[in-house]
Amino acid sequence: MVRITNLHKVFGKLNVLKGISLEVSQREVVCVIGKSGSGKSTLLRSINFLEEPTSGSIEVDGVEVTPALTGRQRKERIHKVRLLTGMVFQDFNLFPHKSVIDNVIEALLIVKKIPRAQAVEIGESFLGKVGLIDKRDEYPARLSGGQKQRVAIARALAMDPKVMLFDEPTSALDPELIGEVINVMEAVANEGMTMIVVTHEISFARDTADRVVYMEDGNIVEEGAPSQIFSVPQDARTQQFLQRYLNGRS
Amino acid sequence: MTDPSLAVRRLARSFVFKVILVWLVILGCGGLGFSLIRLNVGFIGEWWRFIVYGEGTSDVWRVGLITTVFISVISIIGAIILAFLSALGRLSRNPLAYGISTFYVSLIRGTPLIVQIFILYFGLPQINQQLAKLIPNFEQQFSLLSNLLLLPALPTGILALSLNYGAYMTEVFRAGIQSVSKGQAEAATALGMTPGQTMWRIVLPQAIRIIIPPVGNDFIAMTKDSALVSVIGVQELLWRAQKVGVQNFRSMETLLIAAGIYWVLTIALQAIQSRIEKRLARGDR
Repeated sequence: MVRITNLHKVFGKLNVLKGISLEVSQREVVCVIGKSGSGKSTLLRSINFLEEPTSGSIEVDGVEVTPALTGRQRKERIHKVRLLTGMVFQDFNLFPHKSVIDNVIEALLIVKKIPRAQAVEIGESFLGKVGLIDKRDEYPARLSGGQKQRVAIARALAMDPKVMLFDEPTSALDPELIGEVINVMEAVANEGMTMIVVTHEISFARDTADRVVYMEDGNIVEEGAPSQIFSVPQDARTQQFLQRYLNGRS
Repeated sequence: MTDPSLAVRRLARSFVFKVILVWLVILGCGGLGFSLIRLNVGFIGEWWRFIVYGEGTSDVWRVGLITTVFISVISIIGAIILAFLSALGRLSRNPLAYGISTFYVSLIRGTPLIVQIFILYFGLPQINQQLAKLIPNFEQQFSLLSNLLLLPALPTGILALSLNYGAYMTEVFRAGIQSVSKGQAEAATALGMTPGQTMWRIVLPQAIRIIIPPVGNDFIAMTKDSALVSVIGVQELLWRAQKVGVQNFRSMETLLIAAGIYWVLTIALQAIQSRIEKRLARGDR
């Protein structure tokens, strides 16, 4: 479903991604963990070209963007990739000047050009899924962080993506609000969505992920089933990270 | 026992009362001064309608105040369009767009408005003249360009004010657009919106709230600066006041009429603006 091949990203002098290759198959849930500055967010944001890769290619559901591709063709491909991927951000990025339902249907109206009545129907069904249909006409400022993130998830799902990208979806939340977002994400995973999740939420990775990827310093250090990564990590760096991280938490 | 809040209110009321008194005294002193120089109040009463809206002429309600308001409204619209485009250039990483924008802002902000008006009105026809010499049938073949170089006074005035205020408002628009967090554009982009849709549907509506108050200020300033286009013969308020004043040796009288009208106009505009600002603040969500 997603194939990342030899992805490099350089910010000025900083080498953020040093040749990442990663394949994610359909219905798979992959969690990317690692210290801040390890490049995990940049990797995720490269998949839908919020970051332009310095080199390397990205393929989502058969749509491939290679460095050889330029100009209009490239733009069109990138647009296709963005339609195939839904993204959820750390700080929600709901549109504050639009009501909850308008947030969810905005792209349906102007990107997919779906008639309003039909878009509202779609939007309401997804708001129902994340349990916020009663907040339909509220403005984002009136919602809690957890509610905002659930609306953001509904907004991304409403576009009917093939892959969902989550960029630290619970990092900006108060601890007591993390659960409701995790529950929604688990429900999405259970429906068979392909998901790539950058997270610090080890419990989500352990319970829901099919595979965990540990990144450090722009490289994938280790990957494997959560049971393997969390109980018997092979690489010394992974061990060190998990030790510190899990100890720091408890 | 007296209610303390009542006392505060009484004090406040007496403060307002005193301020009003001060205003009246200043106005009274002004009136006294004017009577000492034998200001002809009758003349004002006789002529103000002619000056302000051309009473008794075939141009009634097409000159004076109306022209002033017309120039200001059209020019602020022009300035908003220019400022928006220029702000986009200023925020662009394209060297051509960035270069044009910064050059425009620097040039216009670095020269006096009145010089700009003169150059557009008296300078450009010279270019037309030279082109007509160089290119046979220039005025017929390139009539659009030629007409632009020979623009009449009113459109020239509007163009000058638009260019001038557009340059000053570029920074306002840039700041407004930049005040919208980058995440907003990223979210829109991730949803598949084009850069144009993102700007138009997501960023601008949020930036507008930052932009409106200073643009309101600029509009009020522009209604006053519109008096400058009288120098190229546009029949707006000041031009008419001055013409009538000079012809009758009653300049103080006619200029006071113009000043009074500008004053009333800006007070009215300020009242409208503070209302809009209150509404914007209330809609904060």
